[in-house]
Amino acid sequence: MAKLTIPAQELMYSGHAACPGCAAALAMRLVLKGLGPRTVVSIPACCWTVIATPYPTNALGVSVFDNPIESTGASLSGLRAAADALGYKDFHVVGFAGDGGTADIGLQALSGMLERRTNAIYVMYDNEGYMNTGVQRSGATPQGAWTTTTPVEGTSRGKPEAKKDIMGLVLAHRPTYAATLNPAFPEDFVRKVEKARDLTGSRFLHVFTPCPPGWKYSSEESIKLGRLATDSGIFPLFEAENGKVRITRKGGALKPVDEYIHAQGRFRHFTPEDIQAFQAEVRLAWERLLRLEKESL
Amino acid sequence: MIASELLAQAAFLDGREPQSFPFFGVERRGAPVTAFARIDDRPIQLRTSIEHPDVVVVLDPGLLHTTPVTDGLKEGGLLLVNSRLPPEEVVAPASVRRATVDATRIAVAHGLGTASTPIVNTAVLGALAKAAGVVTLDAVQRAIDQFVPGHRPENRLASSDGYESVRLAGPMEHGAPVLAHRLTPLITVPEGPLATRPSSDLHTAAWRTLTPVVHLEKCTRCNFCWKFCPDDAIGFDSNGFPVIRLDYCKGCGICAAECPPRTIEMVAEA
Repeated sequence: MAKLTIPAQELMYSGHAACPGCAAALAMRLVLKGLGPRTVVSIPACCWTVIATPYPTNALGVSVFDNPIESTGASLSGLRAAADALGYKDFHVVGFAGDGGTADIGLQALSGMLERRTNAIYVMYDNEGYMNTGVQRSGATPQGAWTTTTPVEGTSRGKPEAKKDIMGLVLAHRPTYAATLNPAFPEDFVRKVEKARDLTGSRFLHVFTPCPPGWKYSSEESIKLGRLATDSGIFPLFEAENGKVRITRKGGALKPVDEYIHAQGRFRHFTPEDIQAFQAEVRLAWERLLRLEKESL
Repeated sequence: MIASELLAQAAFLDGREPQSFPFFGVERRGAPVTAFARIDDRPIQLRTSIEHPDVVVVLDPGLLHTTPVTDGLKEGGLLLVNSRLPPEEVVAPASVRRATVDATRIAVAHGLGTASTPIVNTAVLGALAKAAGVVTLDAVQRAIDQFVPGHRPENRLASSDGYESVRLAGPMEHGAPVLAHRLTPLITVPEGPLATRPSSDLHTAAWRTLTPVVHLEKCTRCNFCWKFCPDDAIGFDSNGFPVIRLDYCKGCGICAAECPPRTIEMVAEA
């Protein structure tokens, strides 16, 4: 048997309530592989609160703390203070929140936690919408995408606004560590989790998690879509240690975005001009990232 | 959920007083869900879940093996199952009348959904109109015309086919105390607010419509299937070959799609 390239330990149990093909479920499995059992996970209202804890069961082999949607960041500061007061050493305080609970509703608490330099790891799993409540748009929904609140009918042609740059917002706080992770690249994913684990201070992980029912594609394509997103430059993989940016996957020339767009029902209405505009934004963001890598200190 | 809503709409078109609502549990693609409908000649004031139904309709026959669907069903009540089996072969408590309709075959024949996820609502409602007589077929078809967004002619034909082909059987002579062999252990709720049981006490096999079959002769033991499984439903045997844990596999197909030598095939459940 080939050597395992990621840790064997499993701290996410089967039988959880994620949809078939859910990349956010795989993301949790990989995060816990990297962190190990000395961990408490704080979960706000999001898909994962339903996935993890249909009463009276728990899908995680670690402690789970359920908190309100806007307060993940604050809960991490509190949990860390409690762990310190109790003298818990090598104990990982982790938030696991969706993009809505992070980039929209939980932004204030996240900013506060980063400002306080809370010694904790904040994971944002990004399925680009309020998927748990039935696919409403969030600040992290990409421009043009169909959601139930940005329909494609009448005068509406999907979400008018661009996706929020959550990594930009986080990096402005200069955390100890921030990185983008994609479960389609499990080795890079776990390496970054382990790196975050071994550092002290505020750490932020932005995880790309394709969503079959929300993005309207067939469940077996979750990994393929993740790979396409990174290889097309839509979700570049990079990390920033104390503000110094390094791109962790550069596969030569970026793929055109077409294949990624055509694979998803939420972009079905895109015209060739829409794809061109999407492509132009992706290229621009990629160039900004390359410059950031060169110039960041 | 849609079927129960459509049933209520049909009852309304028949001039009756209907009510329909879902049970809010885990609404996930493939996850078992429950919906209720009440139909009366007078306005209904009751706003509670139904614990003692006159009729139980099962859209996915796989549920017969995992869920005690007839719990609470009234004596002399009706159990209607989407199944290719004759109703005599459906195991049910004594005093329960049984009916079956092969709604999956009807739906596929009319191009409703796909072979792995057929949309059986309208075929089942046609069967229900005949077997329970709570609504007329005419009202079901008028409800389809008013409320079903697409494939209206096909859905109308499916409801007619369901009406024509539903088969009925009386109660079993020696009824079973429970419907069928129960795979999922029922959870006993502990005292206190803590979730104390691992989720692996819950089996998710019923979510699956396609099952992975590993053709080991081509397997290179690369672990990709294990690495990408969102349900941790893949382990290894002592030689390092993958073993799918079918109690938990939801049939997403990621393992088959990501296997480099394509050794995993997704097969429709029998």
